Amino acid sequence: MNAAPNAPGAFDALIIGAGVNGLTAAANLARHRKRVLVLEARNKIGGRCETVTLGDSFSAPSVAHLLYALDPSVVSEFRLTHHGLKFAARDVPLVGLRADGKHLVLGRDRHAAVRSIAAHSQADAEAWPKFQRELFELGRVMRSHWWDASPFELPLPAAIKHLKVISLAAWLDSWFESDALKALLAFDASEGGCSPLDAGSAPELVWRASQEMSGRQGAVAFASGGPATLAQALFEAAQAAGAEVRTGARVEALLVTEGTISGARLSSGEIIAAPLVLSSLNRGESLALTPPGAGGFAHMAQANLAKPAVASAQLLLALDHLPPFGGVTVPLNARFVAAERLETFIAAHASARAGKIADELPFEFIAPSAFDAALAPVGQHVVSVLIRPLPVEGCENRREELLSKIVATLDRFAFGLSKHIVHKELLTPENIAERYGSPSGPGHVLRSWDLRVRTSIPGLMLCGADAEPIGAVSGRVGRVAAAFALAEVPR
Amino acid sequence: MVERYDACVIGAGADGLAAAIMLARAKLKTILIERSERPGGRLQTREFHPGFRASPFMDEVAPIPNEIFWSFDLARQGAILASSSSSIALWPGSQSVLRLSQQPLLRDAAVLSREVIERVADDAHQAPPRRSLFSRPLPPRTWPGEAWANHALAGLLAEQARDALDVPHLAALALTGRAADPYLSGSALHLLAPATGGSGMPIGGLGSLAHALAHAAESEGVAFSYGLDVSDLRHNKDRVTGACLADGTEIAARAVITTLDLKRSFLSLFKWNELPAPVAKRVSGFRMAGGTARLLLALERPPELSAARLAGAEMARGSIHIAPDMRAQADAYAAWRGGTVPERPPISLRLVSAVDPSLAPIGQATITVTLGSIPFRLFDGGWTKEKRDQLQSRALDRIEDVLPGIKARLLHVEVIAPPDIEDALGLTEGDLWGGEIAGDQMLGLRPWSDMSGPRTPMRGLYLAGPSSALGPLATCAAGVAAAGALIGDAKAGRLK
Repeated sequence: MNAAPNAPGAFDALIIGAGVNGLTAAANLARHRKRVLVLEARNKIGGRCETVTLGDSFSAPSVAHLLYALDPSVVSEFRLTHHGLKFAARDVPLVGLRADGKHLVLGRDRHAAVRSIAAHSQADAEAWPKFQRELFELGRVMRSHWWDASPFELPLPAAIKHLKVISLAAWLDSWFESDALKALLAFDASEGGCSPLDAGSAPELVWRASQEMSGRQGAVAFASGGPATLAQALFEAAQAAGAEVRTGARVEALLVTEGTISGARLSSGEIIAAPLVLSSLNRGESLALTPPGAGGFAHMAQANLAKPAVASAQLLLALDHLPPFGGVTVPLNARFVAAERLETFIAAHASARAGKIADELPFEFIAPSAFDAALAPVGQHVVSVLIRPLPVEGCENRREELLSKIVATLDRFAFGLSKHIVHKELLTPENIAERYGSPSGPGHVLRSWDLRVRTSIPGLMLCGADAEPIGAVSGRVGRVAAAFALAEVPR
Repeated sequence: MVERYDACVIGAGADGLAAAIMLARAKLKTILIERSERPGGRLQTREFHPGFRASPFMDEVAPIPNEIFWSFDLARQGAILASSSSSIALWPGSQSVLRLSQQPLLRDAAVLSREVIERVADDAHQAPPRRSLFSRPLPPRTWPGEAWANHALAGLLAEQARDALDVPHLAALALTGRAADPYLSGSALHLLAPATGGSGMPIGGLGSLAHALAHAAESEGVAFSYGLDVSDLRHNKDRVTGACLADGTEIAARAVITTLDLKRSFLSLFKWNELPAPVAKRVSGFRMAGGTARLLLALERPPELSAARLAGAEMARGSIHIAPDMRAQADAYAAWRGGTVPERPPISLRLVSAVDPSLAPIGQATITVTLGSIPFRLFDGGWTKEKRDQLQSRALDRIEDVLPGIKARLLHVEVIAPPDIEDALGLTEGDLWGGEIAGDQMLGLRPWSDMSGPRTPMRGLYLAGPSSALGPLATCAAGVAAAGALIGDAKAGRLK
């Protein structure tokens, strides 16, 4: 990769993990003339933003199959579109599939959304534009909290203070009566691993509404070739800025001298000195790399307590023919959610927490090949299904059960689908954790960046999805951590 | 005929009686209206089988703040509290004993609720802000205990408990009789509103506490009206001017304190279309979570609690939790939400006659059983005789598992299902705590964000009782706070 001076002490910062956040941090620091080295344990860059192949002729994005939280300033600052990032779809509509055929279609067209909600409830149809306006307003108000690297705890607006303690179910109940709509919105708010009954699950919906993709608030986009294109574009931008990226370099330990970070030791035994380390691992894993006691035992214990309660899984299907989903009226280039009732969702969450797989599993799926035809041969399709909530452990030895459950549900909406499956690949929560690192603990959506990014060890900062309010592909924490890091090294 | 009073209090429960005492002491001519024939509300004790007496709805109330207890001179009026300093959890084959005073978490909770009580009392004595109640922004001051609104009980216990068995035990203690999932965030707030282990059990049952309070009120010169419902409130636009009784009697009052729960206060005392729209919306959005069922057991002999199981007879005086298990609690909550009676409802029992021998004939015993997560509305219809019997046998089977031989000694069982509580006490959905204990319905947000004090959007109407901020936290305190607000407003001339 880039030829850079490799004398001891040559680096200003080390970054663990070449995912979107790690690369964003690297690019940001390199731009400010800091010498940066990115250490990636795997042999390829991108982390969760990866395109995997299914059989010979199919490929599909793994885990993070859609982009909805990408930091607009990362895109513009590093001119990612010049580095090859292209959106195949900029504003994917959300479709709630229903067994009774009255599918809910929520897209940018408000009138169409109102019409489709009206099939379920007239009152909800009237409330929807008001709700969306209020949600988007709250989202915009909260941007200063979620988007800026302000080191101080900003006072929360009064409306958010109320939302902070209300459960999503109670909040939605106060707006809507139809189960279809509530379940659909609850799925979007479940990314952070909360049950809709948890106090403080409502801000997760606001968090989604505060995001902006290609200039549209609350939009969901699909990158041509999958999110791996994004990682590749960031990689090129980071290299152009002068950052060095080394793959196959697993950090075995972090070195601490006199209480501050002094470098890292790789599994090869090589020691690299640097006064700053930005880690994409989660808080517990990052602290575990430091010498025992360095981070304070209390912090360590706290980080270890913050285990996620639930996880998600992904199923990739390669199909030689895709039967129409939910009848002919629904466009294929949409995001489909199969969650008919809010109660099913709540029950699935409760069973996942108890380590069981629920009878009815809520999931989201897209057909990536409908956005980007290059992912599958002509006339054939790939389908990517994200299933959540699932138990963190115990899905691996029930693979078949999980698989048949999901395929059976898909079959209900697209009859005959199961007969067309050419290849299938199920990534259980265990597989995902093994491949991309463990997910973050329960979300503290309203915590300030300062508390998220910094650790108890000076010089060690977090820049991974764990430090985000909700672990999505955004690059934001990379940018914010870089800003914190720059403030740390004067010059 | 119109009778004129300065103040009218609806409901002669603990809060109503306390409010009436405070009002009478401030030289306000006060009338207390109670729909049943005697004072007390949930503070009741009755004979449920010849010779056997028990308090049907609860054995203990939330703590009575010391100042109030002494100011009303309740001890001299006959309220002797037998405190319960311990609690025991029994599993087949193992047990755990908790000294309540040695639990740091419970101590923290007690300190926090104390601070909340002071905070509400402070706010009540202050003049209401000038701007309209609906445009007022949230007060910037944070509430004591607010940090717990985003914590799960299970998480908090896992961090703090010393012994693995303490975790389910403490959870059972905090959630006795409630419908709640300890794994959901916000459930930590249940610790602030103790269901058991609060005040202690009054000798003679809760009824004797009610008598003491009523006696204190009478000696202050409060007028009582028993046996008649308040049919509606007299009001002139949003200014409440009195109450109408079911027999047509009109009572003119400068101010009214209601100790009914929020829904009943607004939805039964006003016509729906007379309420300002935002009030109607918020009242209807308030969630109740009634989930308590009780069994009153008359036993011909006390159950044998072997010495190995009980570290001293003293243990039998506190609450006894039958095989508490947090997963089962979460499952029971899920069943409650679906309107089914849980397979394994959380069960706690009290050997009330061990604390107070007057509650059972000599040599015999009275036990009260509290079940949590029992739905008010069953998905398959009403609470029929068969369903009550099924609940009874389900509960007795589980008690039999850990206290063998109890079934053989039964003389009589009375089942009290959530609808019975609603019928007897007028508490919507049989919710003894006047509304779900959730992050958005507690502390400064109870009953809703811009009406956290006792003053309601209807001028001259004050809310005490279970749905007010102090409702589930303390006994009598909500009534005292509402009376404080009323007296302050009257003195400042705001009730003209």
